[in-house]
Amino acid sequence: MKKEVMQNDLDNKSLFSPVSLRKRYPTLQATLLPALYEAQKRFEWLSLEALEAVSKELDVPKATVRGVATFYSMYKKHPMGRHLIQLCTNISCMLFGAERLVDIIKKHYGVEAGKTSDDGRFSLVIMECIGACGTAPAMLVNTDFHENLTEENIIKILDEYK
Amino acid sequence: MIKVTINGKEIELEQPETILKAARKAGIKIPTLCHHDWLKMYGGCRLCLVEIEKMPRLQPACSFLVSDGMVVTTESEQISAVRRGVLEFILINHPLDCPFCDKAGECELQDAVYIYGPSSGRFKEQKIKHPENNTDPLLARNMERCIACTRCVRMCEDVQGAYAIAMTNRGDRTLMEPFSGNRFDCEYCGNCLTVCPVGSILSRPSKSSYRPWQMDANIATVCSYCGVGCLLNLQVRDESIKKVIPVEDAALRSSFERFGPGVAEKNTEKNLYENSVENRKSLNRGLLCALGRFGHEYVDSRERLTSPMVRKNGKLVETSWDEALDFVALKLNEIKNSSGGSALAGIASPRCTNEDNYIFQKFMRGVLGTNNIDSTARLGFAGAQAYLENLMGQGITANPISDLEDADVIFVVGGDPTIATPVLGLNIRAAAAKGAKIITLGRAAGLGRSKPKEITANLFTENKVLERLLALLFSKKEMTGELPAFEEKLKAAAAAPPAEKTTEVTGVTEAEMAEISEIVASAESFAVVIGSDIVQRAAGHCGLFCLAGISYLASGRIFLLSDRPNEQGLIDMGCLPDRLPGGQSLAIDGFRKKYEEISGLTAPPDKGLTLFPMLKAISEGEIKGLYVMGENPALNLPNWPAGDTRKSKIKSLELLVVQDIFPTETSAMADVVLPALSWAEREGTYTNLEHRIQVLRRAVKNMTYGRDDWRIIAEISSRMGTAMKFSSPADIMAEIVRVSPVHRDLRYPDIEKGTMLCRPYKGQPSKSQAGGVVHGEGFKDLIKTCDRPGGSLDDKKSMHRDFVLLLERSLFYSGVTSRKTPALSRIRPDAAVLRMHPEDAAPGLVEGGRVRVSSPSSEETLELETVFDSSVPRGAVKIPEYLEDLGVGALSLITNLPVDPVTKAPAFEECRVTVEAV
Ligand code: SF4
Ligand code: SF4
Ligand code: SF4
Ligand code: FES
Ligand code: FES
Repeated sequence: MKKEVMQNDLDNKSLFSPVSLRKRYPTLQATLLPALYEAQKRFEWLSLEALEAVSKELDVPKATVRGVATFYSMYKKHPMGRHLIQLCTNISCMLFGAERLVDIIKKHYGVEAGKTSDDGRFSLVIMECIGACGTAPAMLVNTDFHENLTEENIIKILDEYK
Repeated sequence: MIKVTINGKEIELEQPETILKAARKAGIKIPTLCHHDWLKMYGGCRLCLVEIEKMPRLQPACSFLVSDGMVVTTESEQISAVRRGVLEFILINHPLDCPFCDKAGECELQDAVYIYGPSSGRFKEQKIKHPENNTDPLLARNMERCIACTRCVRMCEDVQGAYAIAMTNRGDRTLMEPFSGNRFDCEYCGNCLTVCPVGSILSRPSKSSYRPWQMDANIATVCSYCGVGCLLNLQVRDESIKKVIPVEDAALRSSFERFGPGVAEKNTEKNLYENSVENRKSLNRGLLCALGRFGHEYVDSRERLTSPMVRKNGKLVETSWDEALDFVALKLNEIKNSSGGSALAGIASPRCTNEDNYIFQKFMRGVLGTNNIDSTARLGFAGAQAYLENLMGQGITANPISDLEDADVIFVVGGDPTIATPVLGLNIRAAAAKGAKIITLGRAAGLGRSKPKEITANLFTENKVLERLLALLFSKKEMTGELPAFEEKLKAAAAAPPAEKTTEVTGVTEAEMAEISEIVASAESFAVVIGSDIVQRAAGHCGLFCLAGISYLASGRIFLLSDRPNEQGLIDMGCLPDRLPGGQSLAIDGFRKKYEEISGLTAPPDKGLTLFPMLKAISEGEIKGLYVMGENPALNLPNWPAGDTRKSKIKSLELLVVQDIFPTETSAMADVVLPALSWAEREGTYTNLEHRIQVLRRAVKNMTYGRDDWRIIAEISSRMGTAMKFSSPADIMAEIVRVSPVHRDLRYPDIEKGTMLCRPYKGQPSKSQAGGVVHGEGFKDLIKTCDRPGGSLDDKKSMHRDFVLLLERSLFYSGVTSRKTPALSRIRPDAAVLRMHPEDAAPGLVEGGRVRVSSPSSEETLELETVFDSSVPRGAVKIPEYLEDLGVGALSLITNLPVDPVTKAPAFEECRVTVEAV
């Protein structure tokens, strides 16, 4: 589900113009979240410049835009590596060994939680429950969802992201 | 009728209200943190939880409505325990640095913890650190102290309408931030600071300079900046103003009575309710703007004039008061005796009090024998006010500002009220938030968030738009017969053939005009807000006529904006060349006789010169002596006669006397400079734009040799042989109320008590105006005048480099006092820039490039940086009215503007400048 919605918005490689989004939402305010995704795509991360662009497009005050952008952890508030790993370490995932996975990622790719690897390949963000408790541990890589992670398969999965 | 029982007390209410309000009526105080009376309901902190019988859980008193039969308990063991728990949570990350915090002593968190505890917390984790952010020039942000109550954000969004700050991040990281995370870059009203319950938002100019309980005095007075006249409290220590807070805030704090177990009974019912905010509404309802709140440092400025000065051998040198006053008296006598009173003139001040201005005109008329009295109010307010009163009756602009908030359609013409009169601007934003439709003609960027219907007419064609709107409205509305004389004129106007090519000229389509006239016609409560831009036209009075008509037909109220604190008062005091105090026409002998009888002096019968003819007469040598009180015309006025260069004496004047608190561009040319007192050092009254008289109170001791403006003049008068025996402003007011019929029965002690008086007016012309109406011939005449635009825009096209000069006004600038206040200078954009439409750029003019601006009539030139801005109309350039870096006013370029034949206001569309690349 998630994947589908985001894919639609993000595949559009044209210039930043959330105008097209407007039709799908009842108010401009409601368009804010998808518009931020689109801005993130276009500006790579939500810099002040990107937030201002969203504010202008949607006519939502820029301070408010920033308030919303900083509230949600899935927006990039800093420049990130080529691929963003969002790994959950909340209760269910933790019970199934997510914290070991953090160590493994660090050892293999040289990226610490909250940081970006020196080669700029991966950034790792620790998440609080991404709604996949039943198939824990789970992570998002960019917009792809991966669940039932193990110490073995995680490397295989991540190796695909060059 | 709803009956509730709170702590055993029965309370009857007409309407459902929150438990908090109901309890207050019974004299019961409930602790709150996130609640604030001026803000929208929130219910976030849970400190106000109370027990309600038959409800399983505690409920927040601030956001829970009472219902019939409800039984509430506000204090109990259980409630205290819960409140203690709430506070323990809040304190997890609070630094508890009270010994160092400015707010200690008036902090709501401190007070609550003092009563409910806990004395220590159980959380062992490290506190989250957020170093205090001092990157903003004016507001310090200490987010460790923030309790995330969102009061500041609700203030900034819902009341101020600036949307400059928001809560960012989440959970225990939540904090308040402006967009940049650093500088606020906002309207700097400081109203967020007023409502912050803790020490999270602080004013940097006053930070760490005092503790609340160390204040020597808390003086209620009136703001010295604009015509709204907000009530302020000056917090004073060691004869220096430390902080300015709104009056309501002070009231709120003084009513901050003890709450908590066992003390509820002590709060007497009366006390609590009377002090509560709903009950203490002033004009500004606790709101201030940047000028009012942060604009006081000039009082302590080291640059203040400290001693009288007289020009000797071409240079101004300090002397004694006696020498200076004797010199002025001698010179004035000389000129009067050799050339007569008509060779003398005076410029009064809308920053001086009613009493100062009354004495000023009395001196000019009775002692110097001249009616050549005018002021900078001539730039717009004075002429417009007189013209509107002529048409529609005295007091037509005397409408309470707070009424604006209840209007459902507001037509804003000729300026941005959020800049000229910031707090009045908030009333318009508030009306819009309640659903009112705002229509603007002329740019009012500050109302952008109110989603106005903007009429974008071509440059200087507003009158044509207004004409058309009036005609359309005339066909839709019946006349009431209330003002028969005015109705005659409206009829004549409507009968005139429609102006041709309106759409072509104005760029506003007929459909748009129809739509707007429909909105106005269907208004239930209509208001017209008139700014000075529409008055400053060669045919400014035509626009005013249309606005008067539109307002009349739609039963509207008129608000005339004034960016000075006492323009209305100055007019009422008779600082006009053709009117005596109280708006009484000089031409009517009866009035003059009465004036002479009461004041004991004779007034010359003939009208004097208005401001611009006065300046011309100075240039031509007809006026030989000029007395300027509290004004800086060399900077604030176009057409000021040049000396050799601007900084030297004006050759044609034998005597220029300047009375002021700072050395100014004008005082630099003077023969005598007399130091006066600043607003915080004197007493008197101001009359605001809604005609409300309010008292100015002395807050600090004067540290210079300055004297009250009226005293200086009275001294000179005695030296010229006419004693003026007044001992105080109250004494002067006692004479004013006898002279001026509109001030009749006004007693100083009444004004002083704070019983604020709106003058009793009925919308009928007083006798003095009957027959004095300027346009007897009907609208056809008006149209003829209107058709003569100040130089058509076409001639410009041939001379590429010639532009109309538009002044860019700043929310943080208001003449010399604002310049001498570092707090305001720090937030003013200081760039010396010229804005122009990109398509207007002639070859050689590039963005960021430097240009020289000059005008054919002046030797002055300005060098500025170019910024392309497509919001600037084609054919115009925009320059800040005051250029901080260069220390000059843009108007100093302009030397020969014509004036409107009726209002005598300058025709700013004739401000032509040449722009060349350097
Ligand atoms: S100073 Fe005024 S405009 Fe600025 S953040 Fe505070 S409330 Fe908003
Ligand atoms: S800064 Fe003050 S008013 Fe704003 S949320 Fe924090 S504590 Fe509340
Ligand atoms: S709105 Fe006017 S009167 Fe009120 S604080 Fe601002 S400048 Fe002063
Ligand atoms: S705890 Fe990891 S997905 Fe819910
Ligand atoms: S004051 Fe009632 S919830 Fe905060």
